Amino acid sequence: MDIKDFEVDGDGFLTKPELWNEEVAKMFAKSDGIEEMTPKHWAVVNIIRKNFEEKGNAPMVRTICQETGLKLREIYELFPLGPARGACRVAGLPKPDGCV
Amino acid sequence: MDTITKEQRKAALDLMKANLASDSKFQTHLNACVRCGLCATSCMYYIAFKDPKYIPGRKVNLVSSIYRRYFTPEGKYFPSLFNARNLDAEMAEEMVDCLFGGCTMCGRCVKHCSIGVDVSYIVKKGREMLAVMGLVPKTLQATVDAAINTGNNMAIPTEEFVDTIKWMEEELQDEMGDPKANIPLDETNRHIIYTLNPREPKFFPLSISAMAKVFYAAGESWTLSSKYYDVTNYGFFNGNNEEAAKIAGYLYDETHRLKADKLVLGECGHGSRASRWEGPNLLKKAYDFEMTTALELMAEYIRTGRIKVDKTKNQTLCTLHDPCNLVRNGGLLEEMRFVVKSCVANFVEMTPHGNDNFCCGGGGGQLAMSEYNERRLKIGGIKADQIKATGAKIVITPCHNCVDQLMQINHTYKLGVTIKTVAEIVADALVLPDPASPHDNPADTAAETVADPLHTDSNSSK
Repeated sequence: MDIKDFEVDGDGFLTKPELWNEEVAKMFAKSDGIEEMTPKHWAVVNIIRKNFEEKGNAPMVRTICQETGLKLREIYELFPLGPARGACRVAGLPKPDGCV
Repeated sequence: MDTITKEQRKAALDLMKANLASDSKFQTHLNACVRCGLCATSCMYYIAFKDPKYIPGRKVNLVSSIYRRYFTPEGKYFPSLFNARNLDAEMAEEMVDCLFGGCTMCGRCVKHCSIGVDVSYIVKKGREMLAVMGLVPKTLQATVDAAINTGNNMAIPTEEFVDTIKWMEEELQDEMGDPKANIPLDETNRHIIYTLNPREPKFFPLSISAMAKVFYAAGESWTLSSKYYDVTNYGFFNGNNEEAAKIAGYLYDETHRLKADKLVLGECGHGSRASRWEGPNLLKKAYDFEMTTALELMAEYIRTGRIKVDKTKNQTLCTLHDPCNLVRNGGLLEEMRFVVKSCVANFVEMTPHGNDNFCCGGGGGQLAMSEYNERRLKIGGIKADQIKATGAKIVITPCHNCVDQLMQINHTYKLGVTIKTVAEIVADALVLPDPASPHDNPADTAAETVADPLHTDSNSSK
């Protein structure tokens, strides 16, 4: 399986978020230079995924911190492209609107 | 695009007719290009792709060829002799591709034009025609729709926004060791109403606490609105002036509702321009309150000694990225350097910089348009090379749109730098007053003290 097997938008976000699974997450992470998805990475991704499935959008970074117990700076370190282009993309969400 | 309807064509031509009648600048600039070609190498798209379709003069020509075809006798009867073109599907597709997808409206070409054709203005007029034809790229339109429908371009619910602000307030109190340090929300009769880019509360809130720290140090009387805090205005980019006016109106009305004296525009290039310079045109009235940018406000705090900064606290080599809408199109070249150089010990300029600086590549709404992501990252390579050549480890820029593009460039081109807003750099350099006597006569320490009408109320409403 390869990223090329999935339809993504111009920014590399999954066009059909329902096709997402853990393998997809690992592939997207790897393409962003995250060699290994650690438990902390998964904690962030799972919260984002849960929020998306329940509310249809990406959570506030506050919610991510609150639910995972991670510090803000840790999240930026885990996902160098940030919560939107980094973590939300790995979690299979569509690209959020706005300046991200 | 297979076809465009008669109605679409009529809407676009009616708008062009109205624009020609209401603004003589439009007709003048449509007729002014002498095809010297000097603009070509000023454009990031042309430099990066070497495709003639990106030459700024060619972009102007798309719009002016329609003008000649429908609004001049020679173009109407001898179109091929006078370079006049029909507004058909092929033309509309080229316009979408080049005016939306191939221009950041940075205005660098305007500066290099031998006769000063306002290329970005013509591009905007072309976008307006595409907007009435319903041809705005959908990701850009989604961002405008979110702002219109919810008051902010990321559709953040008020409750979640408030939670984030409270969280940042707690962090500020911890850091300051002062339970009275606060981030006021929806307070009336404050001196300042401050505004944010929604990406701050949503994903990058440290710049909010940085600015709050600056306000705390200055003893400022300020507030945020919990509903209308969005400084951006993507209506400035999608070509729909009614939508742009509606968004600009949100900040106008909220400033009145909260009875603030001064609207302070957060660090956002196009948002500052859309309110400050374009706002009166959009709203068709003058602002009846003061307006400034966070950048100028911080400059004033430093200049008057209202805050104290120590540049030795920031030792890492820094460079500055000039946002097009604040420098080339905004006039803040010197002010920006005054603030940054007051706050960092080691500074290096990019080449070129200031009014001749290259755009980050994310302007003109590009950052919101996924359709053209690859192009955006490719032209960003020019900025990456500029940054690399400075050897700086921190890139400072007073625009959150630029910040996001620079973050992506940083990752794509493996620059290994940190991107910071000006507020973050100022906050890092702050020398905080002794908590026992928070604001004892700061004017005494100012090197070049000028009259500061604000200082008198600095302690009034903390």
